Amino acid sequence: MEISLIQAVLIAAVAALTNLDGNFFGEMKFREPIVTGFLVGLILGDVSKGLLIGAELQVIWMGATGIGPTAQLDIGVGGTIGTAVALLTGKGAEVAITFGLPMAVIMQFLNTLLMTSYSVLMHRVDKLIDELKERQIVFIHIACGMLTALIYAILTFIVIYFGNNAIDAAVKSLPQWASNGLNAVAVILPALGFALLLNILLETNLIPFFIAGFAITAFLNLNTIAVTCIGLAAAWVIYLIRTNSIPGAAEAAAHNEEDEL
Amino acid sequence: MSSEMSQTVANKVKNNDIISAENNITKKDFRKTFWRSFTLLNSFNYERMEGLGYLFSIMPELKKIYKDDKEKLKEAYHRHMEAFNMTIAPAPFVMGISIAMEEQAKADPDFDTSSINAVKVALMGPLSGIGDTFFWGIFRVIACSIGISFAKQGNILAPFIMLLLFNIPAFLTRWYGLMIGYTKGSQILADLQESGKMQLFTYCAGIVGVMAIGCMVASQINITSPLVFTIAGQKVVIQEYLDQIMPKLLPLCTTVAVYSAIKKRIKITTIIATIVVIGFVLGVLGVIGA
Repeated sequence: MEISLIQAVLIAAVAALTNLDGNFFGEMKFREPIVTGFLVGLILGDVSKGLLIGAELQVIWMGATGIGPTAQLDIGVGGTIGTAVALLTGKGAEVAITFGLPMAVIMQFLNTLLMTSYSVLMHRVDKLIDELKERQIVFIHIACGMLTALIYAILTFIVIYFGNNAIDAAVKSLPQWASNGLNAVAVILPALGFALLLNILLETNLIPFFIAGFAITAFLNLNTIAVTCIGLAAAWVIYLIRTNSIPGAAEAAAHNEEDEL
Repeated sequence: MSSEMSQTVANKVKNNDIISAENNITKKDFRKTFWRSFTLLNSFNYERMEGLGYLFSIMPELKKIYKDDKEKLKEAYHRHMEAFNMTIAPAPFVMGISIAMEEQAKADPDFDTSSINAVKVALMGPLSGIGDTFFWGIFRVIACSIGISFAKQGNILAPFIMLLLFNIPAFLTRWYGLMIGYTKGSQILADLQESGKMQLFTYCAGIVGVMAIGCMVASQINITSPLVFTIAGQKVVIQEYLDQIMPKLLPLCTTVAVYSAIKKRIKITTIIATIVVIGFVLGVLGVIGA
């Protein structure tokens, strides 16, 4: 599918929005693949397929948490370009990942470089404070994020607008065995996402609850909302027990202590 | 003149607008800080991290507190340009505390201003921990997983539902965090640290998050094996055997394997590269499929 100049510009704007999400908008989550899938689908004229690919990328990047120094992947641009390529070539999520993943890695690397270079500006701010030039201090603060977003938009535009034909040719000439391989990568990658999430949350004394959540779903097919409710109840009970908020608990505990004495 | 002034003050009190009469800090200033706090990461850099963003956020209040003393104002600006890093939704709580402490510092010349940053630094770790648990581990996971189920049906409400589910708690945490941090911050901190309730609360939140992840490992990862052997004329379908041991065995094993790799501090890019290479080979050989 050919892409018009306006479509390419709009997709570049989506990439800039995902970057501003992590900077200017304070993580309102515009960068999540469900959002970018929807927007790119809207721009390229196939919302439902955009959403579908967005949903698949979302699962894969569920654990791609953190921004700034803790981020591993730039899922905003990765998702935007991935979805765009999948829709333009008429393929599925495995193509979105094949192009989205390298972009996510490259853009994160670029972001790291920019964040390193902004350190220099901080010394400029120190000087401006001594001169009490508040307007310039504010300008530097705002300009950093805007500059990053602009660079993101330009790069995305170049990849989508000028790379479209090359990408299309590459995808069309993909043999079946390579397609199988990419598919397998696509089904394994979500495991990385959830492992990263576990890395934030899991402590040894929380392992029983991980097992419970897994088993409830694997054997009983309950969905996330059901499991969240069960988890909430379990957490609440433990909180009540530990804070001695159950009627009679404090007395019973005191009684036990007396027995021990 | 004085009656006129007291009248305007009375009006403002009636509108419930004054937050600190002493320094003329109003709800409008707090609203500014609330919105400015969204941009905390805008100038993120490896040296000061969110420092400039923090200064930008509480600048309106600092300007009012030290409006008569330029030197003190500069000192305060420098103080809040120091390195600061935190999950951003709970950060306004810390800003509320900082504003309250700056007011104390102005009122009391003997106030030890280094304690202002000491409190910020002390809160970075624990509050980021709680913030990560709630916002990355719970709100994002639940918002996205509900969004995913809508998106898979091609429902255009999917992104809006996801954004609302995540942002409502995030906005509330910011606004009430700022207000509560200002009014009761230091007292709450003392209480929580003394009773150990902070750890208990984080642990209980972790229960919900970890169970939701366990659920999603079972429901969202679809690693299966298309392998079929023919032994002595009998067809052996590997996936059927695996399912008899436990449904979703391959997703569980893969997640645990990747998790252990992360715990061994292997670089994420290395892990991704390994998954891509191994996954590709297994896919080509027909061992792993969807």
